[in-house]
Amino acid sequence: MNRVHVRRPESAIFGCGLAVTLVAAALGLTLLLQSFVSTAGYIFFYIAVVASTWFAGRWPGALAVVLSMLSVAYFFTTPIYSFEVDRQSLPIFIEFAASSAVVGWFSSWRRRAEAELRYARDELQLRVEERTVELKRTNEQLLEEMAERKRAEDAYYEAQGELARMTRMSAMGALAASISHEVNQPLAAVVTNADACMMWLSSEPPNLEEARAAVECIAQQGTRASDVVRHIRAMFTKTAPERATVQINDLIREVGALIEGAALRNQVQVEIELDAELPVTMGDRVQLQQVIVNLMLNGIEAMSEVDDRPRRLVVRSQAQDSDELLVAVRDSGVGIDPKNEKRIFDAFFTTKDQGMGMGLSISNSIIEAHGGRLWANSNSDYGATLQFTLPAEGQSTL
Amino acid sequence: MKEPDPIVFVVDDDASVRDAVKRLIGSVGLRVETFGSTAEFLSSKRPEAPACLVLDVRLPDVSGLELQRDLAAANFHIPIIFITGHADVPMSVRAMKAGAVGFLTKPFRGQELIDAIQEAIAKDRAAWNERAQMAELRSRFDSLTPREKEVLTLVASGMLNKQIGAELGTSELTVKTHRGRVMEKMGADSLADLVRMAERLSPSGPKYK
Repeated sequence: MNRVHVRRPESAIFGCGLAVTLVAAALGLTLLLQSFVSTAGYIFFYIAVVASTWFAGRWPGALAVVLSMLSVAYFFTTPIYSFEVDRQSLPIFIEFAASSAVVGWFSSWRRRAEAELRYARDELQLRVEERTVELKRTNEQLLEEMAERKRAEDAYYEAQGELARMTRMSAMGALAASISHEVNQPLAAVVTNADACMMWLSSEPPNLEEARAAVECIAQQGTRASDVVRHIRAMFTKTAPERATVQINDLIREVGALIEGAALRNQVQVEIELDAELPVTMGDRVQLQQVIVNLMLNGIEAMSEVDDRPRRLVVRSQAQDSDELLVAVRDSGVGIDPKNEKRIFDAFFTTKDQGMGMGLSISNSIIEAHGGRLWANSNSDYGATLQFTLPAEGQSTL
Repeated sequence: MKEPDPIVFVVDDDASVRDAVKRLIGSVGLRVETFGSTAEFLSSKRPEAPACLVLDVRLPDVSGLELQRDLAAANFHIPIIFITGHADVPMSVRAMKAGAVGFLTKPFRGQELIDAIQEAIAKDRAAWNERAQMAELRSRFDSLTPREKEVLTLVASGMLNKQIGAELGTSELTVKTHRGRVMEKMGADSLADLVRMAERLSPSGPKYK
């Protein structure tokens, strides 16, 4: 324990002053009372010594002792008015010194105890302050960690989205390379045969047999190329669609839950308004779900740049005319450029940086295959509405 | 020596392209042989005429670029024209650096291919003539007796008949007879002609001492 008693100069002056004043007062009172009470003794001097020691410390106490001794020696012990002291008076001086020492010991013990108490209190306060700062820091750290975690989560979702896009893109790249090879081979044969045909015709004399063979090959290879194209188309539109009763409202609810995360991340408010009287339809549940996912994600992405108005995606189902149902997906996004209105359902057409231009094209093929219709309108205020119809059960052309 | 008709080899795994190219090349009166794979081509006989190879880059077994490398390694020098469905620049640069005569992207025009083939054949014709002459010279040289070969080597090194006789330990007359036989067998018109032939046969100097 580190105890430092700093005795400031003021307190030393105060101590000496107190000692002098008290001894002077004691002297005055004793002189005054001497005439009335013969047995007054030196009670006031004791008081002065004790009080000086108690209130001002050991050294002022010692000063009071010395002063008291001098006063008593001069005024009260024989011979009077002289500092000479006789033997009988010695115990008085010893009493003064003893009382001062005892009180001084008590006083310093008290002071020490007080100082210790104060120190303990200060220590406690310091600890509390330290702990508070620590807590504050921990709290800040926690907040920071939470923010960091949020950032990491966002980055994770972004990376996940990016990965999905990349996977689609690389799959598309491989597919495109394969398609271009498949189509290019017959085209090369066609061009080469055509040139060979020209040469055989312009030789002297023209070799009609070779020319005919070349033209025949051209026809064959043209058919081969168109077979390839038809095959690709078939691959994209459907793979043996299932035929079952589908409750579109259920699909919308499911998709709404599926895309909740995407909507939250994009701060899009999704509102679903379902017609309780909606008839069921016949079709491929997975394909129709894909269409709804495409339209809703499309709407969410269309609003990614919107900052000056609420991002709202409204999905509505509605019974139409008794033999048809309608699903409309309305966003408050950037809308459709009128010059693109005709092309948005074309394969590979996209206005998005990362888009492939397949979503709406595939959706359109699926809806057509189900005997319905998919179309897009610009809204009167903001954004666009994409909607499709499907035949009610019993009307499907599947 | 009469030069045989040039021949064009076509290697493409797609039968329709192969046949079309064959028909096209046939229209300008060139001989054509087609193969569906590099293995098929490699197992065929080497050409006895100026030739060139029309080669698809993308082949099922060994790629065209690998075949080009293998042929060079096997000392089979034949000008190559690459045809490919999807040419990228690095690929064509690699092929041209390795000595390809042309690099055509499908679909190509007939005239482009014909021009490339004519150029390749012209290039191979010079090389082929050189090869044919060397082969002829070599076979004539091989018909000499060992003693005649010795005489040829010493004549080519600039020695006189007398010196050759001393070197071989025979008379000058015998050397003269050998020399006449050598001139006749090698088909040389003059001494200078004979020396030239000897130089072509062993460009690094006399073989026999």
